[in-house]
Order: sequence, then structure tokens, then C-alpha cells
Amino acid sequence: MINRRAFMKNGAMTLFAAGLGGVPSFIAQAANATKIIAPYKKNKILICIFQRGAMDGLMAVNPYSFDELKKARPSLFMSPSNKEGGLFDLDGKFGLHPSLLKFNNLFTENRMAIVHGVGSPNNTRSHFDAQDFMESGTPFNKGTESGWLNRAIGLTGHEGSPFRAVSLTSSLPRSFYGKNETLSISDLQSFSLKATGKNSLNNVSNSFESLYDNNNESILNKTSKDSFEVLKILNQKNINNYKAKDGITYPSSPLGNALKQLAVLIKMEIGLEVGFAESGGWDTHYNQGTTNGTMARNLSDFSDSIAAFWSDIEMYQDQVTLMSMTEFGRTVHQNGTGGTDHGRASCMFVLGNDIAGGKVYNNIAGFSKEILEDGRDLPVTTDFRSVFSAVATNHLSLTDNKILFPEWDGTMLNFIKS
Amino acid sequence: MTKRSFSILIIIGLIATSFCYETNYIPRKPKLSFPYKKMGLSTRQAAVHLLSRFSFGIKPGDIELVESMGLENWFENQLNQNNAEDTLDKYLSYYDALKMSNEEIVNTFLPQFEVRKLMKDFGVLVIDSNFDKKENKVVVDSFMKANNLKLPQEYQRQLINQKILRAIYSNNQLREVLTDFWFNHFNVSLTKNQASIYVLSYERDVIRPNVLGNFENLLIATTKSPAMLEYLDNNYSISFNNTQSNNELERNIQRIRFKNLDINNDSSLIKLKKQRRDQGLNENYARELLELHTMGVDAGYTQKDVTEVARIFTGWSIIPLIKRSEYRKTFEKYRQFNLEKNGFVIDGDFMFKANRHDNGIKEVLGIKYDSSGGYNEGLTLISRISKNPNTAKFICKKIATKFVSDTPEDALIDKMSKTFMNTNGNLRDVLITMVNSTYFWDGDAVRKKIKNPFELTISAIRATNSKVLQPYQIFNWCNTMGQKFYYYQAPTGFPDRSDYWVNTNSLINRMNFGISISSGKIPGLFLDPNLINFKVEPESIDSAINLLSYKLLPESSNDINNKRILRQYTVEYANNKSMNLSNQILGLLIGSPEFQKK
Repeated sequence: MINRRAFMKNGAMTLFAAGLGGVPSFIAQAANATKIIAPYKKNKILICIFQRGAMDGLMAVNPYSFDELKKARPSLFMSPSNKEGGLFDLDGKFGLHPSLLKFNNLFTENRMAIVHGVGSPNNTRSHFDAQDFMESGTPFNKGTESGWLNRAIGLTGHEGSPFRAVSLTSSLPRSFYGKNETLSISDLQSFSLKATGKNSLNNVSNSFESLYDNNNESILNKTSKDSFEVLKILNQKNINNYKAKDGITYPSSPLGNALKQLAVLIKMEIGLEVGFAESGGWDTHYNQGTTNGTMARNLSDFSDSIAAFWSDIEMYQDQVTLMSMTEFGRTVHQNGTGGTDHGRASCMFVLGNDIAGGKVYNNIAGFSKEILEDGRDLPVTTDFRSVFSAVATNHLSLTDNKILFPEWDGTMLNFIKS
Repeated sequence: MTKRSFSILIIIGLIATSFCYETNYIPRKPKLSFPYKKMGLSTRQAAVHLLSRFSFGIKPGDIELVESMGLENWFENQLNQNNAEDTLDKYLSYYDALKMSNEEIVNTFLPQFEVRKLMKDFGVLVIDSNFDKKENKVVVDSFMKANNLKLPQEYQRQLINQKILRAIYSNNQLREVLTDFWFNHFNVSLTKNQASIYVLSYERDVIRPNVLGNFENLLIATTKSPAMLEYLDNNYSISFNNTQSNNELERNIQRIRFKNLDINNDSSLIKLKKQRRDQGLNENYARELLELHTMGVDAGYTQKDVTEVARIFTGWSIIPLIKRSEYRKTFEKYRQFNLEKNGFVIDGDFMFKANRHDNGIKEVLGIKYDSSGGYNEGLTLISRISKNPNTAKFICKKIATKFVSDTPEDALIDKMSKTFMNTNGNLRDVLITMVNSTYFWDGDAVRKKIKNPFELTISAIRATNSKVLQPYQIFNWCNTMGQKFYYYQAPTGFPDRSDYWVNTNSLINRMNFGISISSGKIPGLFLDPNLINFKVEPESIDSAINLLSYKLLPESSNDINNKRILRQYTVEYANNKSMNLSNQILGLLIGSPEFQKK
């Protein structure tokens, strides 16, 4: 098997050598153009969205039938109704927030499943610890260096494209840390070197490439290799050919932009297998609101972005599963400032054609004080790893759960059609 | 005087001195002694290292200055932070917000909807749709001008520009570097609307004056600052568990009875009862105080401790600053009645509202806080956690990570923590301990940190002695490289790690920055012509490369390799005259891996 890295590097060196010998630059360009990306097998694709700040799962997907919840949230509780502003009743027990209108359609089409009461067995209520644990996949070990999605890439058992794991963020997420190659790109459109004139561009590019190649600082050296590989491949593709389908509008938010670009990568067919995006602003300590306000705005953005993405990749839907995650949920009781503080369990959304959707998977037993964790929070009744591992096993066909989630021997949640 | 009474006096004197020593530590004159020679560095190499860590980049002449002064003397001079700022002050004189108090800022920089409201109140423009008409723009503009009103965007522009200008031109570089560091440690963000208007004074009055003082003073200043109170919601965290608010309720009920009104239908009583039911505790600040500002997440506190800390800070809030508001009028009315007598504390923009403070007994980390403590409970708590060994360790590790290495040695952190504990958190002494240690000068530290985008841009400007007429352009560049400073949403601040700053995306933009700055593509930024054109024309391409490398990458270990590559580049490029060759070399040097390091 040809090692991809060696192949790419040789390609780069050829190009560089050609430049050195004073060969006319059109030849150098031709060399560049022929360094075509191998055609990649149509692999399954997993898109993960991290909702940073801890989404209030009890407001997004509201177990409205419990009276205790209503009492605990005098100004945040909502009920189902056919009128505008009411919850969408999912199953007589749970109601979807009205701003998640577009999820309601996906849910009734049985493509979307909701997992409720989900979270980490580690009861930290620190955003940063909880995110770290969820992304490393090891809730009791701070020393884990790699992220679970990086380990997932390693378990696929096949060579991949430089674009196999791409995060549409300005820096690499914790989930992507590790020895397998992963990328972060915040904007595909502007991912280019900005020298004037083609000759100059090749020249500058080659010089930078060898400056970085010759540097002994491993992080600069290693990262620059990825940068130049990505540059070369993107140079051959015209991003404008992969615009969103007519009639599809993404929200002009960070999440909307990220998903739009992940759709571009999927449509380019350059070997994406794991995509990552983020959504922020979920830390609603203050004036959370109900049908209007911070939470409602966040939920609209969240569901509109995902729905636009899903329609945009219509041709590829059978390949793709999308999963959301958030570090923990929020207190059952509203706090003194019209918001909610850090709690325990929240909910996750999973979308895909192979998902046994139209169901809220949960073991929520109630909201009486004895049931709540520390007398105040929705307890975690489903370990986040039983959701992650189900997607990894049944969608990505990974088999080794011990590598993916060491220190875990729970069972997978069965929500994927086999 | 008898012998006996004399010795008693001595004993009393001794007790007094030792008492003084413990409660009111007076720092001895710091003894600076840098062990760089022991660690195998030449004076020039050491000067480069010192400058690269405690300034925003090396300007032409800096190394020679530090060498001739002596490294320790330069550092001491920076610790004293009293160098004149003639150049900087000239640049900053164009920014009027920098001299304004919070009250002036709040009442000057009004959002558009507030301006509209005001114009309606004044009867200038009454109908909403009129504001959007083109012909009325001049009316709005002249109203704003006449009343000295500006939009918040202008305030943010001034805030951003001043940070850039200070970093480039300040002669007290250490203070600016530390201000940047501590701001990030106690992060507040322009993304939070209510806090954004206070960020300027936060940096100026809360952070900068305290960066070389005592940690406890710095901490308490942040706790009481309007920016932090808004950013982490403590301004709204209140309790009705106290006599004053119970009396308030009782007074209302008596008023209704006295006037024979319907007790179930009185609007102000309904409002008060609703407030008592719906408003209360918010844990946001309490948690981040322990987790991010002081002890660190692994210090062993519990959820219960967090809640108890939040109770202690109920009632810590801001005085009403908007002059026209009803709240302000009420405040001024009550202020005449001597609020302080009722346990209120007003200190600058800070106000402790005794009638919104939880007067119950609290217990944090096993220590009880009496029910009568009021404002002092918070002060005692801050003082205790400032002296906690976990805090010393957490803070010292953060300082060492910023200034020594991404993975500082435990032995160094222990040394610094010891100083921290012995000096009651004297940050100046902690820094001295760090720079006096061999770890600072170790091969594992020198040139091993990656500049963040702000440091990269400013160091390029300083190294090239560029003139910056549009500082905001630099902000845009930092943003594309992943550091939208003042806008980091989470209270952690930017992670201070190389792997956060270096990724596929940002690296390409760092190269682009190099090309842009050297080719004059950044609007309002002008390179020093002497740098490129040379006073004496270089004899050859080689000597141009040598000269520029010497200026931009002093004491670089990768010098030979770099020069070889640059030479190859110039050979190939010899026929293209579209751009000055020296500029091209400069661009490659700024975008090169060596220039990303410090």
C-alpha cells in the first residue's frame, strides 16, 4: 500500500525540483494539476455538532407531562398546543420547542431520533472539564491525549484522504486531537495563499513549503504539511461549483456557515468521513426566554442550519449521519435571573436515513426530589458513550469499542436500523 | 529607663515587627540575578529571549540596549513601569473614550435604538419610519453631534485600536504584556452585550494598575468591576433573605391597610411578590471564580461550595449609570438617606445592596460565614481563596505556561508558588522568582513558544519599524488567524497553547500576513523605508538576505537552512521585476516558521 503521506510529499518535492531547475512554470503547474487525488470509495460520513455552553435539554425537548417540572419552572415552562408558540407534541410525553419546527418534520419522517437524559457519568458541572471528557470519550481520565473521533478515524482500517476528518472551526476541537491526521478549516473560500500572479504564487508557495519542511518545531512542521496538501487539492476544485442547491438558505451564523461548507466537502467527493462543527451561546444563566429570547433564537439557528444542510446533501443522505452533543444539561429549577444554572443530563439529536427515528429514547423517571441528582438536576440515565458507540459501530462500521472508549463496558443504545 | 523596661520595649518592638511582616508584607528590594550563562546562553542570546517573552517583539536597537544596560537592569526598569510614553500618548490622544469614566462612556456611546428614543423624547423626530429616510440622516447626525453622542461601534473601535497602539508603541512593554495576560485570565467579552460597554475601563482601571501588585487586590478589583459583574451575571444574583427586604414587604402591606386598598389587587405589591418569587441566585460567577480565577477545577470544592459562594455574593452589583433612567433617579433619592448606614457599600461604580443580600449562615470549604457579615463576607472569602495553596499553584502554573513553556516543570511551579505564599501573592516577586530560575533560560524554553496572532502581528510591526495609521486592520488580521481579541466568548479566555494557535487554517493565514505586510497590501501600514532600501545598497542578494535575517530573526537556530532556501528562491525569482526582491524576502521571513516562535 502506498503511504499517502509519502506520495504527497514526493509530489511536492517533484514540483519543487521542477521549479529549481528553471523549468518554465507552466510545467510546474502541470505537475501540480496531475497530482490528482485518488478517487475515494464512498465511505459513510459522520457529522458531529457540539453545542458548547450546555443546552437546556428540558426546554428543547420538554417532558411536559411532569407536574414537578412545571412547578420548578414557573416562567420557563411551555405546553403543547396547536396554536403558534406551543410545543409540538412528539409522543404524548415530550414536546419539541416551537423553534425546532424543522426538526418536527424530520422526526415525523422517522429520520430523526432524540436521546433524552443523556450525559456523562462524571458529575462535574464545569463546562470545560465536561467538554473535555465528552470529547476525549474518557469521563474519568483527564490524561487521555486523543479525542474519540481521532481514534474513530484510526479504526476505519483504510487509508484516507487528507480531508477524511475536517473541523469547520478556527482551531482543532478536542475530539480531533491525536495521531491520525485531522484538519481544521474555518473558511474554504479563503483557504489560499495570496500572492499576486501565478508564477509568484507557485514560487512563494514552494519557498514556504520548504521553509516549514526544514523546521525542527514538530507542530509547525507537521501542520504545514497538512496545509499544503489541502491547498493543492483545493486549488484543483472550484468551490463555486458546489454552491447550495437552489431554494436552500443557510442561516448566516457560525453553525450555518460551517454546515454549508461541510456540505461542499461532501459534494466535492474528496473523501470526507468525519465532519465537525460547533454552535455556541447555550449557557443561558440569564433571561433564557420561552417562545422568544436567547434560547429560542439559538434553537432556530440550530434546527434551520441542520435542516438546510440535510436538504442540501439530498444526493448523499444515505451516506450521512448527523449527531449533536452538549457537555451537560441545566438545572430543573429556573434560577433567580430567568435562566438556568449548570445541571446534569441533556438531550441529543441524531439524524440519518438509517436511524430508527420518530422516537424519544429515554429512561426519565420523574422530577421528584429523590429522583433528581443532588436533589436538583435531571440525572444521567443514558451514558453519552452508548450513543456515540452506536453511531460508530452501526454507521461507521467500527468494531473495537475498547479502543474507542477504554474504561467503558456499557451497552450501546439501539437506535440504528440494521 | 531601666534595663528591664528597655528589653520589654524591644520585645514589643519585635512582636510589632513580626506582626507587621505577616499582615502587611513590605517587599524587600528584589534581587535580580539571571542564570543564563549557567544555562549556556550568551548575553545577546539571553537578551533576545528576555525581550521575546516580556515585550511584544524586538524593535531595531532593542537587543543592543538591553545588552548595554544589563539584562537585570532592563527588567527592573520594566518592573518599575514608569518610562515616559510621549509617542504613545500622541497616538492615543485621538481617542476620546480612553479618558472617560464608565458613567461618561455609558451616556455617550448609545445604541441606535436609544438615540431614537431620545430624539422622540426631545420631539426631534417622532415617527419611527422617519429615521430610515435618507434625508433625515443629517438630522440624526446633527442631533448626535449637538448632544455629544456616538454609537457603540465607535467605542469598540477605540478600544481595539488602543490595545494595538499600546502594544506597538509603549515603552513599558512588560506592563502591556502582563495586562494582556491578566485580561485573558480574568476574561470578559464584547460578545456579552451588557458587559461590553465596561470592557474599556475594566482593562484600564481594574487590570493594568494591578498587574505587578498583589493578587488579592487584582482579584477583588475584578469581582467588583461592572464588566465582570455583568459578564458572569452576578449583577442579577440577589436574595430576599434579610430583614430589610422583609420590612419592605411589611411596609407595603401596612400602606395598603392604612389606605384601605385591596390587598389582592395592589400593583406594586404584586410586582414585589412576583420579584420575590422569581428572582434570586445565579451561580455563574461563583463557579468561575473558583474554577478559572483562583483554585482550579481540581481543588476539591463541591457543588455545595459553589452555591454557598454564590449566596455570599448576592447583592454585589453596579450603581445605576444611565443618567436618565428611573432607576438612577430612585438611587439618587435614596442615596441622600445615607444608604451606608443600612449596610450598603458604594465604591466607585460598585454597589453592595444590603437589601438584596442573603443574610443566612454560609459555609465554604468547611469555614462558616456568619449571618451578619454582609459585604465583608465577600471580602473575607476573596482574601481566603487568594491565600489558598491551590490558588498559588494554579496561578503560578498559568504564569509559567505563558512565559516559560507550554509544559512548565513542577519544580518551577513549586518555587513560584512558594514565593506566592510567602509574599501574600506579590505578583512582582513571583515573576522575579521565575526569571531568576534556571528553568526560564533552559533549552526547553528558549524559542519554544509559538506567538499567538496578536503577538505575531505586533512583533512584525515592531521588527520592521512600521508606521501604523489604521490599527483596526491588524485586528482584522488577528481575526482571520483565529484570535478575535476582546471577543472570546467563554470565561476561560484564549487557551495559551501552541496547538491551539497552530492549525491548517491559521498557518496559511500567517504566511499570507507575511506576504501582505511586506508587499504593502495592508491599508494604512507603512514599512520603514530604511529597512528595505538599506542605507547602503547591499552588495548582493546574499547580503540582503543576511541583513534581513539578522534584523528579523536574531539568534535563530535555523539560520543556515533558511538562508539556503531564500537563496534558491531568489535565483528562481531573479527575472521577475514586479516586486522588490527585498520585500519578497521580508514576506517569506515573516511568514516563516522561525518568526512564528518566540
